[in-house]
Amino acid sequence: MNVTEQDQLSYIAAQAADSRINVEIETEGMTLNIGPQHPATHGTLRIVVKLDGEQVIAAEPIAGYMHRGYEKLTEVRTYPQVTTLINRIDWLGSFANEVPFILAAEQLMEVEAPPRARWIRTILFELSRISNLTLFLGDMGIQLGAMTPVFYAFRDREHVLNQIESVTGGRFHPNFDRIGGIKDDLPAGWIDGTRSAMTRIAEFCDQMEALLLNNEIFESRTRGIGVIPADIALSYGMSGANLRASGVDWDLRRDGGDGLAYKELDWKVWTHPDGDSFARFWVRLQEVREGVKIVEQLLDGIPSGPVMAKVPRIIKVPPGEAWVETENPLGAMGYYVVSKGELVPFRVKIRSASFNNVSIASWVLRGVYVPDIITILASLYFILGDIDR
Amino acid sequence: MPMIPGVIKGLGVTFKTLIETLFPEGLRKPIPQPSKGAVTVQYPHEKEEPAPRARGIIALHEGNCTACMLCVRECPDWCIYIEGHKTKAPPRRAGGKPRQVNALDRFDIDYALCMYCGICVDVCPFDALFWSPEYEFSEPKIADLLHDKERLGEWMHTVPAFEAYEAGSEAKQKKVPE
Repeated sequence: MNVTEQDQLSYIAAQAADSRINVEIETEGMTLNIGPQHPATHGTLRIVVKLDGEQVIAAEPIAGYMHRGYEKLTEVRTYPQVTTLINRIDWLGSFANEVPFILAAEQLMEVEAPPRARWIRTILFELSRISNLTLFLGDMGIQLGAMTPVFYAFRDREHVLNQIESVTGGRFHPNFDRIGGIKDDLPAGWIDGTRSAMTRIAEFCDQMEALLLNNEIFESRTRGIGVIPADIALSYGMSGANLRASGVDWDLRRDGGDGLAYKELDWKVWTHPDGDSFARFWVRLQEVREGVKIVEQLLDGIPSGPVMAKVPRIIKVPPGEAWVETENPLGAMGYYVVSKGELVPFRVKIRSASFNNVSIASWVLRGVYVPDIITILASLYFILGDIDR
Repeated sequence: MPMIPGVIKGLGVTFKTLIETLFPEGLRKPIPQPSKGAVTVQYPHEKEEPAPRARGIIALHEGNCTACMLCVRECPDWCIYIEGHKTKAPPRRAGGKPRQVNALDRFDIDYALCMYCGICVDVCPFDALFWSPEYEFSEPKIADLLHDKERLGEWMHTVPAFEAYEAGSEAKQKKVPE
């Protein structure tokens, strides 16, 4: 069928009417590519937006520029080799990627990590959340035009990364989790070093509050921008802080399985009723503060004992299926592991948070203005490796 | 204008950081020392000290290697190359039988492929591989990133001693061979 110019125009007009836009003057729409390479897209995500003047009529996120085929690669890697690959999914919170996979494999093998290993795992899990969200807090500022916060974020994230490095050996790719425990015990002096890093992060949170949350310019650019109601957020499968910012009280650390030590601690799940960009920033700021509290509690009560359960040297996972989901920095991340009793998994399905979090872009970007696209995308907070895998 | 108070509070944070950076010894000694107060490291002139556990480069202690090929098989991207041959070593006690040992002909690690996961160091049953926190080994030519066993042996000098463990640990402390 031949599409005439008139057809196209009437299509755009119909879409404009659909997205609550005033179309008294029938102007010609414009298609704008944001990305694949653009400073505001956090990597190689492409968003095709149709514009009517300054206003977005339709937006479509296009993923797949960074697809690395993890689900297929894991089928030819042994279980210990898989952890080193899946480190690279969400590269800002690497350790958190390993945990659900290892928990799934432990469930299949019916081994349980000793309590000390479980606690150290939880500390590192929370440290990776802090280092990830710290960068978000600074990054949100630079997306809105404030240069300073991102430098402070890099400055203070360094202390957390140094702590992760001095125990795991890797700043970004720890590869520290093992089936049945963790690779090595903590080095001497690490607990005190982590305590001082946590006080620095707490200070950083206060600075961010002074620099951004109390700033009227920041508020006017984020309040009421990109409002996502709770039912829409749930229907798009959003998770993590994005969902909590829409007022849904849902956190897998509290509601999920027993793999990590969260249920023995005293902490709070923060939610915000607004569901706009400001709420998403606010919830993540509170989460970093809560993370500092969690880490301090964990450091006080590390049980003594071994860090590795008895597992065979050559790991063969018995046949079966397991699904484990944890609350990662970006949201719920789950692994569905199918084993046929061989050295390698038969099939691994990875559910990563960012893919669902960014799929709402086509809904939430309709009807906003062009500068708000950046605000909304920054506040949705996705990592490209987590979208494409 | 209602937009003033928050902005002033934010500027206060920035100004405080500026003062802390310029005068790291406090305002009693008002001599500006920005290079001392800055958190960044001026790389070629001063260097950062990585943690002793940092995974920088893999060092080979050749005497311990028996060419068992475990690291070659476990490497996720197959970047280790080993060749060896069987040979007779003199007996331990006088009058005993000569022992059969594996001599190492070739031990190469291709650092252009290596992704620094540390699986080879973990699986080595004879403690022949060690992590060194050294990080300055970039090369103009990619082929020079293939380190042979002599070059890997040189890194042994940079391997730090294993750290003591935190209280409550039951792990046994390992030692780096001389």
